[in-house]
Amino acid sequence: MILYDYILSASCYKVRLMAALLGIKLDLVAVDFHPGRAHKSAAFRDLNPAGSIPVLVDGDLVLTESTAMLVYLAQIAGPQWLGEASPQSAARVQNWLAFSGRLNSSLGLARLHDMLHFPADITACRTAGHLCLRELEAHLTQVRLEGRIFLEGTAPSIADIACFPNVALAPDGGVELRDYPSVRLWQRAVRSLPQFIEMPGIHRLHDLKPAPHSGAAA
Amino acid sequence: MTNWKASGLSKDLPPANVMHADWQGVDLAVWRSASGRLSAWVDRCPHRGMRLSHGFVRGETLACIYHGWTYGVTGACTHIPAHPDMTPPATITATRFEVTERGGVIWIAAKDDPTAPPDIAGFQPLRSLTVQVGEQALLQALAADAPGLTEAEGGLRGTVQIAGLDTQICLMLQPKAQETTLHILCGAGAGPAQVSRWAESLRRQIEDRSAP
Repeated sequence: MILYDYILSASCYKVRLMAALLGIKLDLVAVDFHPGRAHKSAAFRDLNPAGSIPVLVDGDLVLTESTAMLVYLAQIAGPQWLGEASPQSAARVQNWLAFSGRLNSSLGLARLHDMLHFPADITACRTAGHLCLRELEAHLTQVRLEGRIFLEGTAPSIADIACFPNVALAPDGGVELRDYPSVRLWQRAVRSLPQFIEMPGIHRLHDLKPAPHSGAAA
Repeated sequence: MTNWKASGLSKDLPPANVMHADWQGVDLAVWRSASGRLSAWVDRCPHRGMRLSHGFVRGETLACIYHGWTYGVTGACTHIPAHPDMTPPATITATRFEVTERGGVIWIAAKDDPTAPPDIAGFQPLRSLTVQVGEQALLQALAADAPGLTEAEGGLRGTVQIAGLDTQICLMLQPKAQETTLHILCGAGAGPAQVSRWAESLRRQIEDRSAP
């Protein structure tokens, strides 16, 4: 399975993270998104006319939306990540996948503006980002009142993986997360998942491993 | 009048966690050790100035994310990874504030404060929520929108109609530059989920009205 990938992209990381959590090995093809704009090249648009990344190719299957990639990976290797079997749960997961698109066009675009000089109305992006974070915080507050921590049901799902990257990277776009305590604790739960992987801007939880100097030592 | 400032809810800082808090414009790292001990320090590693709130808690220590300098609950540096055999000099210490918990709220004051934080017995902590208006404007808005609340030590208390029920509410205010964080506690009346939605709705009303 080939992932056309860019290391700094939140949407590409979404797919790398899901694959890592599921134990799926991806063949990564690095796309020179910045500064090369290789995703807009004629050759790349032959693969994906939209000229966007990531692109996932598995045999005849070509996927160009990261949320669809999460569904595919989970169907193959971990259907429990698709949410619970009820119509309500399935629909709520879809709601979060669509919501992750709003995170990408607000928090994600603010980050591309600040990091890679993308043209954007930065004030509008940040305002829309805070609105999304308030929705997330309200939901996660409710979830915690019920003794849960993940977005849907009692276990982590593709909903969490779809929403996590752009939230965790929000400070790169000038959106601080300090007023969202439940979002902070939810992020910690995602980062604590076995086989969690990092990307530039999202480091692993060092505290989950013993201190390197505490053993037989130096 | 108390000098203690409500700075967060206990339930939002479980053991082995660190968070940022604003104390009257001073950035603080507030952290809880694995055994539950709470500390509030200036959010700046004495080594290179990195925010300690980006660091991590291991056991009874807080480590800086940048070079791993590690500090015990007294604030003293206990370990420098690049010099593992060296005992760090006593002069390397984090700057401490007073921090305590009462009624499920984290209270912070400058050092050696002789007063006690407000007594908020009878209320259950619900959530913290930041409103994009300054403290005075918020108090005026609340006087109009929730007249059953009256000023009490550290904030407001009183009765509000929520989902058709007389509900006891306590709001502890944490003023910031252009905004105010409300630490919301509830007593008898509507359930916590209803109070949470009421608070969201109240915030929208107040912000809509103050929008230019």
